Amino acid sequence: MAHFYLLSVFLSLLLSFSPSLSSNSEGNALHALRSRLVDPTNALQSWDPALVNPCTWFHVVCDSNSHVTRLDLGNSNISGTLGPELGQLKHLKYLELYRNDIGGKIPKELGNLKNLVSMDMYGNKFEGEIPKSFAKLKSLIFLRLNNNKLSGSIPRELTTLKELKVFDVSNNDLCGTIPVDGPFASFPMESFVNNRLNGPELKGLVPYDFGC
Amino acid sequence: MGSTPMCNLVLFLAILHSVLPFSLGEDKPAESYWLLRFKSGLVDPAGVLDNWSPRAHMCSWNGLTCSPNQTHVLGINLSSSELSGSISHELWHLTSLEILDLSSNSLTGSIPSELGKLQNLQMLLLYRNSLSGKIPEEIGLLKNLQVLRIGDNLLSGEITPSIGNLTQLRVLGLAYCQFNGSIPSGIGNLKHLVSLDLQNNSLDGHIPEEIHGCEELQNLAASNNKFEGDIPASMGMLRSLQILNLANNSLSGSIPVELGQISNLQYLRAISLSNAQLKNLTTLVLSGNDLTGNIPSNFCLSNSSKLKQLFLARNSLSGKFQLDLLNCRSLQQLDLSDNNFEGGLPSGIEKLEHLTDLQLNNNSFSGNLPSEIGNMSNLESLILFDNMITGRLPPEIGKLQRLSTIYLYDNQMSGGIPGELTNCTSLTKIDFFGNHFTGSIPETIGKLKNLNVLQLRQNELSGPIPPSLGYCKRLQIMALADNKISGTLPATFRFLTELNKITLYNNSFEGPLPASLFLLKNLNIINFSHNRFSGSISPLLGSNSLTALDLTNNSFSGPIPSALTQSRNLSRLRLAHNHLSGEIPSEFGALTKLNFFDLSFNNLTGEVPPQLSNCKKIQHFLLSNNQLAGTMPPWLGSLEELGELDFSFNKFHGNIPAELGNCSGLLKLSLHSNKLSGNIPQEIGNLTSLNVLTLQRNNLSGLIPSTIQECKKIFELRLSENFLTGSIPPELGKLTELQVILDLSENSLSGEIPSSLGNLIKLERLNVSLNHLQGEVPFSLTKLTSLHMLNLSNNDLQGQLPSTFSGFPLSSFLGNEKLCGPPLVSCLESAGQDNKGLSNTAVVGIIVAIVFTSTLICLVMLYMIVRIWYNWRKVSISSTGGGGAEQRREEEKWEYGEKEKRRNGEYWKVNSMALAPSQDKQNPSTCIFHFKMDAEITGNTLV
Repeated sequence: MAHFYLLSVFLSLLLSFSPSLSSNSEGNALHALRSRLVDPTNALQSWDPALVNPCTWFHVVCDSNSHVTRLDLGNSNISGTLGPELGQLKHLKYLELYRNDIGGKIPKELGNLKNLVSMDMYGNKFEGEIPKSFAKLKSLIFLRLNNNKLSGSIPRELTTLKELKVFDVSNNDLCGTIPVDGPFASFPMESFVNNRLNGPELKGLVPYDFGC
Repeated sequence: MGSTPMCNLVLFLAILHSVLPFSLGEDKPAESYWLLRFKSGLVDPAGVLDNWSPRAHMCSWNGLTCSPNQTHVLGINLSSSELSGSISHELWHLTSLEILDLSSNSLTGSIPSELGKLQNLQMLLLYRNSLSGKIPEEIGLLKNLQVLRIGDNLLSGEITPSIGNLTQLRVLGLAYCQFNGSIPSGIGNLKHLVSLDLQNNSLDGHIPEEIHGCEELQNLAASNNKFEGDIPASMGMLRSLQILNLANNSLSGSIPVELGQISNLQYLRAISLSNAQLKNLTTLVLSGNDLTGNIPSNFCLSNSSKLKQLFLARNSLSGKFQLDLLNCRSLQQLDLSDNNFEGGLPSGIEKLEHLTDLQLNNNSFSGNLPSEIGNMSNLESLILFDNMITGRLPPEIGKLQRLSTIYLYDNQMSGGIPGELTNCTSLTKIDFFGNHFTGSIPETIGKLKNLNVLQLRQNELSGPIPPSLGYCKRLQIMALADNKISGTLPATFRFLTELNKITLYNNSFEGPLPASLFLLKNLNIINFSHNRFSGSISPLLGSNSLTALDLTNNSFSGPIPSALTQSRNLSRLRLAHNHLSGEIPSEFGALTKLNFFDLSFNNLTGEVPPQLSNCKKIQHFLLSNNQLAGTMPPWLGSLEELGELDFSFNKFHGNIPAELGNCSGLLKLSLHSNKLSGNIPQEIGNLTSLNVLTLQRNNLSGLIPSTIQECKKIFELRLSENFLTGSIPPELGKLTELQVILDLSENSLSGEIPSSLGNLIKLERLNVSLNHLQGEVPFSLTKLTSLHMLNLSNNDLQGQLPSTFSGFPLSSFLGNEKLCGPPLVSCLESAGQDNKGLSNTAVVGIIVAIVFTSTLICLVMLYMIVRIWYNWRKVSISSTGGGGAEQRREEEKWEYGEKEKRRNGEYWKVNSMALAPSQDKQNPSTCIFHFKMDAEITGNTLV
């Protein structure tokens, strides 16, 4: 028993060390993000790619294994776009980009953030569709995309997000119907207002997608 | 400058006056007249045209070449004469002109279309000026033009198709302008064209198929445009081509068979000619396009290929290393970097014996590095980083006497670094970062006298550093971080006087530093963090140009030397997690560039020296876990760049200075575990960027300021273990980003829990225990669906807990006498307990109720006894009561789980469960035990 315990401790140590020894991919990903963003107030000034890891950068929080778990750039006067590299932050739990001026499409690679608990991107200028890949975010509880310029329909795949508790896509340009399955059964109508949505999906009938 | 036009006018009138009488006798004005008209349009600050005067014969004027009979001007050469102004529209009158060279001046305006009338013009050189507008269509009338160079101007528009009429043209230079549109197909008429330079324009479209008409073309440079589509296969017919540079365009498709491979039958006729045709090609540059496919298989068909440079970098080429490339025996430089090539490197690569530069980085090459590479004796740079190369570095590498650069980083190579590598005495740069090299650094590394860069970070190297490394006296960068290297630093390091950057972090180095390191005067960046170095840090302070010093997590001891301040550009100073003692040197006030200042986890004493207030650039100010005392200095509020302030676990006393509210960029403020007293300043609300505020374990008193609601981005808030009073401000409910914890425990807070706290939907932990909170637990708290930990214990809360809280442990709620509902006792029971000390009327009421219920119970029991007696008589078999059956069903569940475990061979576990103390004294236990045995037996028979 004791041996087994030691072995498991050893294994867990090994597991926790090996990724942290890999090269500074998370720092590189964040630095690539920085290069896409316009940052008039120098909120990202401390993001120095020459450092060993991004854990001493402001607005970045790491866990004890030096993996990025939070990105807090809400209300930071940032514009520009996001890129696929954000999907490399595999340990990210909180992606807080709300109330900025970020535009362009939401990269589908954000669906790779398996540990994500909260994605707050409300109050920006995001356009294009809500990526279907978000259905892979099995830990997601908060998804707030309201007050953007998103179009297309609400991906039905999102109904599989069992943990999702707070969902807001109000004030966009979405069309089609509102899902009613899974967590969508309990979201209030305010989460969907000011779109071109056609009301809740009618179950039992042939699915229809007006204008989508 | 304002008088210049007037001067020109006067000059012009004077010229007119002097020339007119002379010219009146002729049919038309003499050429000198038109030359002076030309001069009048120019500004000539250098006075090159000073002798262009009617008093002298024009053939004596600067820059002119005349016909033998001195009557006509054949050439004008005013190149590099600092002229500005514009080109006269009247130059066409010089009808004999053969050469017009106005290059490298500052001429503006457009190219006069009238120049098209110069029927004898052979050479028109207007390059390197500031001419604008389009190429006049009339340029196509210059039937005798052989050289047209008008590049490096501000010319724009399309290239006039009439250029196809210039059938005598040998050189066409249009580079570095703003031309757009496509190359006119008439280009194919230029049979004598030798050089075509279109670089750095905005030309787009396809390269015309007709280009094959330029039979004598030797140099085709069209890089940095927007050309798209395929490279025309017909280009293979350009038999004289020596340089083909199409880099940085948007070309797509494959490299054509004529330069390689074919996929299209209509070009079949060209194939037979293709490679033979291109046998004069020495340079082929197609980098930075979007080419796909592999390099054509018959690329260098004959060994007589003259190709020396082949640059195909930054495309989307794929496939394995093209073996036919090995026929390009003259190849000196091969750049296939940033493509999608895969597979192994061929051992036959040694055939490229003239190769000096092999650049294959950023591909997916795999397999071993062939040992034959050691036969490529001319190799100077071997650049293979960012591939998937495995296996050992072959010892034969040591034969490469000219090898200067070897970049193998970001591969999967393993094994030891062969000692033979140190025979490559020309080596200046070694970068093996991010491989799996093991063993120790070769003992003989000191033979590399020219080494500038030694980058071995992130391998599995072990053993001590060989002392001979100190003899690599030219070393500027030494990066050995993230390995398992042990031992002490050799004293020979004192010879590394050019060393600029040394990073040894994450190794197992130990012992004190050699005092002689003090001789390293050029050190700029030092990172020794996460080792076991001990002793004084003074040997590292010989340089006065340090910008970063990171010694985090070692065993350095003694005081922090004030000599550090000699490095006035020091911006990162990280000495945390050591055994440093004494006070923070007041001299640090001179470090005005200081940005990251981390002295935490040491044994520092004394106060924060006031001189540090000069360090205005500090962003990270970390002094936690020391024994620093005194008050928190108010000047902290003047550090405008401050983002992180951590003074926790010290002995600071006095108030939290209100001036801290000026640090509007502060993200983390940690002052916990000190002796701070007084109120939390209202100004805390000015810290609108704050993410983390930890003030717990102090002697803070007074109210929680409601201004805290302005800290909208806060995700961790800890105010526990203080003497805070008053009620929890409802405004806390506006901190909707709160996530990690809201900890207000162990204070003297009173009043009710504000229902607004239910808005903190991201909150994972809420602790308000050990206060004097009253009233009911607000139902809104059930909205806190992210909550993992809830502690409301030891308050004066009352009433019924919301049912959703039943999942939290009992300890979350204990110590609230009037609180009831699961997991606490049900509210009915607690109501009974509550009424113990109530008024007489209530007591009477209760007695009546009790009497009533007991009578009821008696009646029910009587009824049951009668029923039981009735059944007894009927069947005469007894059974256990209903409640017991229910319990048994639960035990059955347990048992099922045990059965599963038994199948895994852990028999003993079943017994230990059966003997669990919570069960063995209970009445039904024997029953259960038997049941369990039954289950075991069933289990066994099933297996």
